[in-house]
Amino acid sequence: MSAMWHADAEMLTSYADGEIADVHASSLEAHLLACERCRDRLAAVPASASASAPASQGSMDRIWAEVVDTIDAPNPGFVERTLIALRIPQHVARLLAATPSLRGSWLIAEAVALGFAVLAANTATGRSADLALFLFLVVAALLPVAGVAVAFGPGIDPAYEVGAAAPMRGDRLVLMRATAVLATSIVISAVAALAMPRLDAIAIAWLLPSLGLTLATLTLGTWLRPLVAAAAVSLSWIMLAAAAAVSTQDRLAVFRPAGQLACLVAIAASAVVLAHRHIAYQEGIAT
Amino acid sequence: MTVRADSDDALLREVARGDRAALEALYKRHAPWLVLRLSRRCADPGLVEEVVQDTFVAVWRGAGRYRGTGEVAAWIWGIGIRRLIDRLRRRPAATLARPSRSEALVVSAEDEVLIGIEHGDLGAALGRLSPELRAVVQATVLDGLTTKEAATLLGIPQGTVKTRAARARRELREALA
Repeated sequence: MSAMWHADAEMLTSYADGEIADVHASSLEAHLLACERCRDRLAAVPASASASAPASQGSMDRIWAEVVDTIDAPNPGFVERTLIALRIPQHVARLLAATPSLRGSWLIAEAVALGFAVLAANTATGRSADLALFLFLVVAALLPVAGVAVAFGPGIDPAYEVGAAAPMRGDRLVLMRATAVLATSIVISAVAALAMPRLDAIAIAWLLPSLGLTLATLTLGTWLRPLVAAAAVSLSWIMLAAAAAVSTQDRLAVFRPAGQLACLVAIAASAVVLAHRHIAYQEGIAT
Repeated sequence: MTVRADSDDALLREVARGDRAALEALYKRHAPWLVLRLSRRCADPGLVEEVVQDTFVAVWRGAGRYRGTGEVAAWIWGIGIRRLIDRLRRRPAATLARPSRSEALVVSAEDEVLIGIEHGDLGAALGRLSPELRAVVQATVLDGLTTKEAATLLGIPQGTVKTRAARARRELREALA
């Protein structure tokens, strides 16, 4: 124990008022670190001037309120933290994280669906190998469509009412979320494609169809509810793929170069229509 | 040494377990001197408030990392001064505020003599240093900052911190010889 030395009241007061000489302040500061008694006495020194003086009761309460606010702030979830780490502004990250189809459960469901297709492709032999590949490609192309279907809209989006009332363009939110959903499902599908038995161009033949189908869903969504639009696009896609397979005797017909070219045309056409129709999202999701 | 139930160490252990009341008790004990001590190093009261807030949020989150040796107050000060330097580093240099309050103070000749009598040779020698040199001694010796941290705190280049520290040492040595 160093000392029976304690700061006198005058010294504490002049320190609290900021009028103490540097040398005295330094020795007092060193003493304060080790002396609870002097700390308490310093805290009891009435702040001289207004509420703006350092360590006034007003500023003490203000700082404490801020500390409590910071401690109580909800921890951002995994998606939000990831987005912020990717340098996405915080308000955009919060909007995207509220997307139902970016939740962990949805992403796991996507991974499981693809996982079964990959498993089938890896165990199938002979003629059924083509069928398994066909299923994988069709499912991979449909994942973003399903994600977009539940990415926004009344009854699905927990923040829908907030968004509808916010001074922000509705189409911007829709496009932002659709892009995020598309990007995540492309990543998941790409990882799944790595586990396919044949690692060649056909393993990523779902990429252009998934883009085309997503854009088609968004375009159709300017007239229909997102879920209905997605269902219509999905059914058409499955029927188209099956019809092409039957008529050409080639199970993968839609994924061959001609099919990819058709996808490109569809993407361009959807993009043009969407560019003209996107204002429909501004007026509220079709109900 | 017996640890009282409400000693700083015990409170910090409670904080580590998530006890909000313990944090408030620590805040009541340590925030006042922390605000005053930081105010002597930063002239912007708003910034000082933010730093104190940061510090206690850091105490809340990092209470488990306190090793239980040394004064809790010194641990809190270590967090506080480094938070201040972090904040200063993020600001544009033009708005850096030099602590000026003590410099504006005019010390009368009698006071100087009295200080010399009261605090002996070292205190007098320190008191005779120019404010610039004294600020460097305070930051590097008394606050225990590195050259880089002191440079950020005082808003001067690192090289200047080093030359001023050397000059201060020389002047003190001559004064005490």
